[in-house]
Amino acid sequence: MKLIFTIAWRNILRHKGKSLVIGVILFTGAFLMTVGNGVISGMAAGIEKHIVNGFMGDLVLISEAQKSDNILLNLMGSSIEPVTTYKQIKEVLAAQPYVKRFLPVGKNLAMVLDESTSAPGYAYLLGVDFAEYRKMFPESFTVIEGSYPAPGQRALLIPTFARDEFYDFYNIWFLPEGGQVVKENLKKEALANFATLNLSTNVVMMGMTSGINTTTDIRFPVTGINKFGALNQIFGHFCLVDIESYRECLGYFTAADMAAQVPKEEKELLGLEGGDLDSLFGGEMMVSDVKKAPKLKAAALNEPKLSEDGVYNAVFIKLNDGEDYGASLKKLNKALAGTGVRAVTWNKASGPMGGMALIIKSALFIFVMLLFCVAVIIIVNTLTMSALERSSEIGMMRAVGAHKTFIAGMFLGETAILSSVFGGAGILSGIVAVRLIPLLRITTQNDMLQLLYGGNFFNPLLSLGDVGLTAVQLLFVTVVAALYPMRVAVQITPLDAISRD
Amino acid sequence: MDIIEIKGLRKDYPLGDTIVPALRGVDLTVAEGDFMSIIGPSGSGKTTLLNVIGCIDFATAGSVKVGEHEITSLTDRQITEIRLNKIGFIFQTFNLIPVLNVIENIEFPLLLMKKSAAEARKRADKLIEEVGLKEYAVHRPAELPGGQRQRVAIARALVTNPDIILADEPTANLDSVTGASILELMRRMNEIEKTTFIFSTHDANVLKYARRIVKIKDGLIEKEPALA
Repeated sequence: MKLIFTIAWRNILRHKGKSLVIGVILFTGAFLMTVGNGVISGMAAGIEKHIVNGFMGDLVLISEAQKSDNILLNLMGSSIEPVTTYKQIKEVLAAQPYVKRFLPVGKNLAMVLDESTSAPGYAYLLGVDFAEYRKMFPESFTVIEGSYPAPGQRALLIPTFARDEFYDFYNIWFLPEGGQVVKENLKKEALANFATLNLSTNVVMMGMTSGINTTTDIRFPVTGINKFGALNQIFGHFCLVDIESYRECLGYFTAADMAAQVPKEEKELLGLEGGDLDSLFGGEMMVSDVKKAPKLKAAALNEPKLSEDGVYNAVFIKLNDGEDYGASLKKLNKALAGTGVRAVTWNKASGPMGGMALIIKSALFIFVMLLFCVAVIIIVNTLTMSALERSSEIGMMRAVGAHKTFIAGMFLGETAILSSVFGGAGILSGIVAVRLIPLLRITTQNDMLQLLYGGNFFNPLLSLGDVGLTAVQLLFVTVVAALYPMRVAVQITPLDAISRD
Repeated sequence: MDIIEIKGLRKDYPLGDTIVPALRGVDLTVAEGDFMSIIGPSGSGKTTLLNVIGCIDFATAGSVKVGEHEITSLTDRQITEIRLNKIGFIFQTFNLIPVLNVIENIEFPLLLMKKSAAEARKRADKLIEEVGLKEYAVHRPAELPGGQRQRVAIARALVTNPDIILADEPTANLDSVTGASILELMRRMNEIEKTTFIFSTHDANVLKYARRIVKIKDGLIEKEPALA
């Protein structure tokens, strides 16, 4: 072994040019692979933080009647099927040890109406219990104007992105009730028209659904303006409303309706999947005009979990750290049999966003593999040429009694030394680069780039596992690149050496 | 005792659609301790004969016995072992390993035999003295003239105590004085180590050093001339 490495090391020094070529390729490949792996990890962590921990959770429960798994960014006009069996679902979820937390939500499209114009706009509504939402996603956004809704308060939070869009469409600048215009938050065009700015502290929205329920237009007081930590242009399409207002807007049964109007026997009927829908809307059970509906006092809404008695469209679920998606999904769907819902991953539920995340990750992976292939090809060519140029030397070694394994070992030794030195330097440089990049605070407003960046600024991350992965990739490149040249070298016979001389 | 026995050796080389016979049925025996020269014009087959004896090339037909081994039926691994343990080579162009110094080149075959570093160095030191190159021990081959490089090659060939040393035109790239000193050295090693030497040449001046001369022409052994 010592002899092999001695000859290998000295041959590297003797053929400095070729060694440098191979070394530079290995250095560059290792550097880019390290940074690439860091970007992939940063992206995964960003997705984890901003999408999974910031908006949707790991898994989403949707109605079995829901045709498409994509419920988040679905086509306008296609509503999300209601989920009416939340009480039953809740019991099942509470019994699953791998489920950390869950949050029922309403999600659908609403028309945004304004008296000054006949053309309606649109907004996605996300109906939530604000107190539970904060527990589920504590760091997903900050309220930059107004306040976070109190428990049980009828409330609407408009994201900054949606507010800018509303301004473009209606020429109205929304602000919280009792609030003042904050110039720093004004869009450029709004700032330019500051003197004649149309202000409003409430929004009229009418739910849109393809179901048979009658939707209602509701005047929502603006409670606050929020900004998401990242992916503000995607998440910023969603106005958060309290779940009861959401239900009224969409014409669903509210918790008050469930508590006040539905006799016990018919409540039980409502809990059944696939029941006769017509019977739900007959006679006394029709939802009355929300303007005439009894206003729930704040005190009443503070009663524990009253709002749970009502309709939702989905349940966001967070799994315990480290749980396997596939296994959890399987177990959960089995446990939920008969409840009228199915579980899907956040990727599927988020439609194009999840798909885009997967595409970006695949593109990065393909990039790393391409690097790998280019490195292998160049190294193979260079080493093969080297083997042929050293035919005399190799043939002589074979003539004096070196076995083929010795010759192969010599080539592998040379490649291993180059890989360790230059590849190792590449990995170390990559680690330094990944540490330095976040300090540069490279930002972007583009949401797809934010997915790649793992947030608002470019934040690649490297774990010990990532460094180990790069080392394994480098080892693989080394071995694969040395295979063909080794084969060429061991085929050199003593006779070939003498013939060349 | 005969260390080499060759019967009916034929070696053909395909050249496109033509077959070129290099050896046409050679019969030869070599006794242990012989200092033999194979002489013949260019293209006569002397290098081919040496290559077949040295297990570098393979017979098309016939029988070749080196020691007790019939080499025509051995695997590559077995043949390599024979080359390592039984045969030493001295090439016309020296063929030293350029990245190893003189002493490392000499001990190289011993390390291939998995001898310990200390043992290999001890044997190499002895031989480097015998070939008169002690003061050049740490020099690389590129730093030495041709004659000294050939001395290193001789020491390397002898280091494993082989039964046979094959030298293909060992003085062809050397001037006459240096060539003569090399042949003297080979003869001395033959006397000291009792190793069988077979060397090929087409130089008549080299013949005076041989104790036995085999003449080859057109792939066949001619009658051995009597030595003066």
